[in-house]
Amino acid sequence: MSSSQKNLKLTRRQYFFIIIQTQIGVGILALPFDLHTAAKQDGWISLIIAWMLLNIILVFLWMLAKKYPEKDYFKIQEFVLTRWVGKTVSALYVIYFSSVGILILLLYSRMISLWVLPNTPYWVLSFMMITISVYIVCCDLITIARIYTMFSALLIFLASLIIYSVKDSKLMYLLPIASNGWGGIITGVDKGIISFLGFLVTLVIYSKVEGSPKDKLKTILYAQFTVFLFYLCIVLVTFTFFSTKEMALVSEPVLYMLKSYQFPIVARIDLFFISIWMVFVATTLSSFLYMAGLGLRRMVNTQQNKWVVFSVGCLFFISSLFIGFDLTKLDRFQTYVVHGGYIFAVGIPLLILLISLFRKNRNKEKTT
Amino acid sequence: MGFFRDLFQREQRTDRRIADESPEPQEPSTRNLSKNIDYILYALKRTEDLKVRILKKGDAALLYFEPLVDQEKVQASIFTPIEIGKVDSIHEIPNAKETRNLEEAVNSLLRGHAIYIEDDNRRISQFNVTSVFNRNVDEPANEKVVRGAHDGFVENIMVNINLVRKRIEHRDLKVKFYRVGKKTNTNLAILYMEGIADPEVILKMEERIKSIDADKVQSPGYIEEFIEDSAWSPFPQMLNTERPDRVVANLMEGRVALFTEGSPTSLIAPSTFFMFYQAPDDYNTRWYTGTFIRLIRLASFLIAIGLPALYIAIVSFHFEVIPDDLIAPIKSSINEIAYPPVFEALVMVVIIELIRESGIRLPSPVGQTIGIVGGLVIGDAVVRAGLVSNVMVIVIALTAISSFVVPSNELSTTLRLLTFPLIGLSATLGFVGLIFGFLFIAVHLTKLESFGVPYFAPIAPLRLTDLKDTFVRLPIFMLKTRPKDAHPLNDKAIEDSRKWKKNEQQSKKP
Repeated sequence: MSSSQKNLKLTRRQYFFIIIQTQIGVGILALPFDLHTAAKQDGWISLIIAWMLLNIILVFLWMLAKKYPEKDYFKIQEFVLTRWVGKTVSALYVIYFSSVGILILLLYSRMISLWVLPNTPYWVLSFMMITISVYIVCCDLITIARIYTMFSALLIFLASLIIYSVKDSKLMYLLPIASNGWGGIITGVDKGIISFLGFLVTLVIYSKVEGSPKDKLKTILYAQFTVFLFYLCIVLVTFTFFSTKEMALVSEPVLYMLKSYQFPIVARIDLFFISIWMVFVATTLSSFLYMAGLGLRRMVNTQQNKWVVFSVGCLFFISSLFIGFDLTKLDRFQTYVVHGGYIFAVGIPLLILLISLFRKNRNKEKTT
Repeated sequence: MGFFRDLFQREQRTDRRIADESPEPQEPSTRNLSKNIDYILYALKRTEDLKVRILKKGDAALLYFEPLVDQEKVQASIFTPIEIGKVDSIHEIPNAKETRNLEEAVNSLLRGHAIYIEDDNRRISQFNVTSVFNRNVDEPANEKVVRGAHDGFVENIMVNINLVRKRIEHRDLKVKFYRVGKKTNTNLAILYMEGIADPEVILKMEERIKSIDADKVQSPGYIEEFIEDSAWSPFPQMLNTERPDRVVANLMEGRVALFTEGSPTSLIAPSTFFMFYQAPDDYNTRWYTGTFIRLIRLASFLIAIGLPALYIAIVSFHFEVIPDDLIAPIKSSINEIAYPPVFEALVMVVIIELIRESGIRLPSPVGQTIGIVGGLVIGDAVVRAGLVSNVMVIVIALTAISSFVVPSNELSTTLRLLTFPLIGLSATLGFVGLIFGFLFIAVHLTKLESFGVPYFAPIAPLRLTDLKDTFVRLPIFMLKTRPKDAHPLNDKAIEDSRKWKKNEQQSKKP
């Protein structure tokens, strides 16, 4: 890589697409089903509430990042929490990012095994996926951003397939609104926030993006809104396509919906959808691989990107082999990781923000 | 530095050396003629085509390589002035280049010069009497165009630079010469537009050329592998062309062209993937046509690498993708075949490659016959014999044709090669494998760089304004800025060239 490109900062457009590509991933196939199990036909209200809450969290994350514009998230931890505590927290983050990565690998492989290749062993599918992710990540962030921007064109393809299905939607299925009480909707909010969990990437790579803090916040919120719109579109279309009773039976409503269509040139559009979806899984996995690798690099203070990424990739692959297609283990693992997300993506950053506010005050007192 | 040297050593002005070689070894000539001749003969290993003509009754000698020298030129530039009586001695002839260094004399002998030495005199006169054989500047056979210029580069580097200079009559066109290859001593030139081309790219180019350390540099293919960024990539990172107009267009975009003596091919760097899909024809037709043809060409890329793989994935994994009406005909054509689709595809691809390769080397009438026998007869017989299904023949034929659509031969071979891994992937994992294959190619293209410039621009990094000359070809007066990928110093390529329209409308108003 040439010297002139090495220090290039990401443009805000690239930042936008990194956020989108990190968030839209494995979850989109099962999102409507998850929301539906929690909140029945009111799942879309949960999604809206989740998005609104998320905006508040994002503003807090942005405040933290804005205070240390030159430092990435791991350096902030070291700075605010002192060296060794910071390193320990970074290590926890590496473990968290790795578990998310492993979870993505497991969920993706299960989905492919269910829908496309029932006889292929687990390790083949996950090996292919981890190889491509390591290949994407073992270069500079700017190249990753370029790759993500390029692949975002495929989002149009996914969106148009979903919007095509609007022609058969029946708004009747959304009624009655909030008939089951607000309890279900609140549990739905939990599922909704989980679907956005990649948002931590905004904080991790914040310092590598050019532009003023205000512009960056706008980019973050726009990206979030785009993701939200895409999710809402999927949820509304599937909720109006299947009746409330049907929804409880179809675990991947998007695919079942597309399966029912046949164009004159091709049939079984769900196969094309799932193929394109794989690209988004690869980008999401790559983001988590990148973040885990970055954390590890900061922990051991090395610039050797390639070897770190390669070893983290191997770790993903080998540890995911212990679970494989085992459904009970997978479910338990999923609950742990998903709820760990609240601690790592919301709890710890807010704690660091609080401490940093406190420290700043103390510093001010010292100077005055 | 040259300026200061001129300032302080004004008297000793020497001829400007065009290639900045390492300092030549010095061997001062002596006053003894036979010693001088012995030294030269020894240096040239007493080769027998070195002619030594003794003149002035043994007091002087004229040396030259007989095969390298044009006898008529020797007559005209050395003997005629003496015969006419314009000068008294051969040393006085004005078009001679003088030296007192025997090593330089040896080198100029090798370049095809004749040297003249006298007894009792240290001066050595060198005469340029090289014989040159040039073919005509014909249109290159592998880059024909329908409309547009029909000349092409030849094997002589000076003629090639002449063709470029004739097209860019501007002081900013700069030529730099280098000598590469320790034994072949090949002349190499780079051309660029000062003030448009990125100095960083030029620096990189110079550094890489200077680091070439080999006995033999035969063709641009050698140099390409010495100086390209990723030698392990299947994609060519420098554009090869034999067309002056293509070189000129790229120079004006701020790229660097590289010529070598003895080859009509010039290399252009930094190049991008989409440059391989731009042909001079695009700019000579209406822009609608240009756009249409370019889209067809880019579609040919996808067909050439992906169609056989897609077909194999569908027939061996995802039969349900085919709509109901088509299932019966396709299924019936495949059912008769004993072999799996992968095997069919590989057999057909190999047959097509064999036909192509045998057709190239043979004289053209025989080559055509082979093409017809191979293509039609084998294709038909293979289907009748039940070895390969007829749909597969269609698929492979389409793939082969598509791979020839690319206006660049190197990329075309790359495409045919990329078909194989994709066939393998889709035969083992179906659509999943195919997507992985395409992902790998896309990621690889994005990571690739040519002289520090992203190879897949303007898609990655995305630059919407540069798409105007990538997938489409907008009218030329709208291509106002140069593409950003080569980092041109000066963005503006075309000012408002249709002001006459505004003028006309204004004059109509009153």
